[in-house]
Amino acid sequence: MTAVEAAPRTAEPVLARGERGGSTSKRARGALYHAVMIVIVLSYIFPVVWAASMSLRTNEHMFDADQLIPNPITFEHYTNLFTILPDFWRYFGNTAVIVIAGTAGTLVSSALAGYALARFRFPGRGILLSVLLLTLMVPGQVTLIPQYVVFRELGWIDTPLPIIVPLLFGTAIATFFFRQFYLTLPRELEDAASVDGAGAFRTYFRVIVPLSGPAFLAVGLLTFVQLWNSFYVNSIYLSSQDSWVVTQALQSLVGRYNSQYGEIMAGVTLVSLPVIVLYLIFQRWIIRGIATSGLAN
Amino acid sequence: MTAGSSRVGRTSVNGRRPRWSPLRRREALTAFVFVAPVVIGLVLFMAVPLVASLGYSFTHWNLIAPAPTFVGLDNWFALFEDPRIGVVIWNTVKFILFGTTSFLFFSLIAALLTFTPRRFVGLYRAALFLPYVLSQIAVGIVWRWMFNSQTGPVTLGVELFGIPSPDWLLDPATAMISIALVTTWQGIGYGMTLYIAALNGVPETLMEAARIDGAGPIRRFWSIILPLISPTVFFLVVTSIIGALQLFDPVVAMTSASSAVGAAGGPDNSTRTIVLYMYNQMFNLNEQISGIGYAAAIAWMLALLTFAITAIQFLLGRRFVYYEGLAPSARTRRRDRTSTKRKAGA
Repeated sequence: MTAVEAAPRTAEPVLARGERGGSTSKRARGALYHAVMIVIVLSYIFPVVWAASMSLRTNEHMFDADQLIPNPITFEHYTNLFTILPDFWRYFGNTAVIVIAGTAGTLVSSALAGYALARFRFPGRGILLSVLLLTLMVPGQVTLIPQYVVFRELGWIDTPLPIIVPLLFGTAIATFFFRQFYLTLPRELEDAASVDGAGAFRTYFRVIVPLSGPAFLAVGLLTFVQLWNSFYVNSIYLSSQDSWVVTQALQSLVGRYNSQYGEIMAGVTLVSLPVIVLYLIFQRWIIRGIATSGLAN
Repeated sequence: MTAGSSRVGRTSVNGRRPRWSPLRRREALTAFVFVAPVVIGLVLFMAVPLVASLGYSFTHWNLIAPAPTFVGLDNWFALFEDPRIGVVIWNTVKFILFGTTSFLFFSLIAALLTFTPRRFVGLYRAALFLPYVLSQIAVGIVWRWMFNSQTGPVTLGVELFGIPSPDWLLDPATAMISIALVTTWQGIGYGMTLYIAALNGVPETLMEAARIDGAGPIRRFWSIILPLISPTVFFLVVTSIIGALQLFDPVVAMTSASSAVGAAGGPDNSTRTIVLYMYNQMFNLNEQISGIGYAAAIAWMLALLTFAITAIQFLLGRRFVYYEGLAPSARTRRRDRTSTKRKAGA
């Protein structure tokens, strides 16, 4: 629901000027295009809207087709959800810790490496680039088992550490993204700074980082969303209920409370709300980030 | 050090810039500091585990015993004897055949519908992209209900046309296809975004010239647009197949019979994927053949499968992917020269 209502506001700057005037047939074709697109788009986002709507319906109206806007509106499923999973906010907290620490670590390490790969000449640069590219092909499952054994030895199971610590060393995709971004920055920036006698580190932190806002924002948003939504790795390391993240809490509703659609959809809505809000605010940055990371091939 | 300085001496005699001038050495040292975290990460969380995981594949260990026991190639032989392996590979292939194809096709349609700048196009794109930012678990749970055989909108929608609806996730014949439909639905925005970026790179003059030459829209698509966006198509094919081989979250969300993660893959094992089976081998004691050891062998099999499929694609890509005529770069210029040479030779 929020998606449909709030999207136009954020999307406005992207819009180009519409075709004004023109012949009647041209205008008719334009109208046909928009009619078709509106049908496609509405049926496309129907599941999202319908799920949110179900979470606000009373049980007797749960499956009525005319309840897109629930009447009467009830919040009982949300209260019930907190009876079923009293620690629901705790899972939000657990997720937030992983997302914030993981995103910060990814940004710092990947930005530094990406900058070096774009600007400095050093032996092994080509090899490092191709190794990073190759790692994109390696399924995470191969490296998972030894990591699991070691993290278990360290007593890190049921703590966020096994998920956060590897991210502190950056990711290949983020490194590529930053390299691509720094290749587009003019070299004169550093030249001017080095004439002033600043070293490489000073130049990077004083001159380059302040100009890297767009890259940090794009990579940060994509990493944030990805970590918020992730399930597989969490389900491996976080087995005790106290350490769960939100996707695990959601999954736990399935099977146990199969018929309680109101509660399940309330959970889905609560867990999705933060990323939807983020998407509506930063939509252009997220989409641009995706487009750039794809072009980096 | 001595080797380094002798090299400096040699190159300066040639009158070129010395290879290891103090300035360049300083630059390299700075660079090493900058890349250090990523390189350390690559060693600790990629290189070492890769080797260790291969090592584990020669052992038997259920994580309860104090230490793994060496069993030689037993796990690797077991891969060939285990009837489940054939099933999970086939399930994954089914998903790739259906899911990757529909993803590539429908995101291209979405891109062609929305790439021309006009009123409201940004809004359409934003809506089509929205499902991509949601979690696969949330999306899977919603679609699980959409496919419900009594009250699900998809089922009711099909029956509206007066035809009996398939049982979607409950029928082994359609369960994997249903999952592929959902991942396609969720991924269209991503594919569309990359296609739009590629379509924007198609020069308008080329399209105009083709139009003047009398090429219709279909001809223009096959002869101009498709070759020019083929690098993007190739990228999407390669990355989506790598991702599809690791299918896990949607299967768990849509097919698990209980809240236990490992209890997914039904009905009748028709949606159990390679990664899900590996999870079962790690944590579900009743399923275990050789515990962690067999799970490691499955993981390595998956990696080898990924490398092989990607390598084949790169070989095929050389034939079908068209890199010329893009933004002028060193690579393009080099290719142009070779292609003229080829033409001259022919």
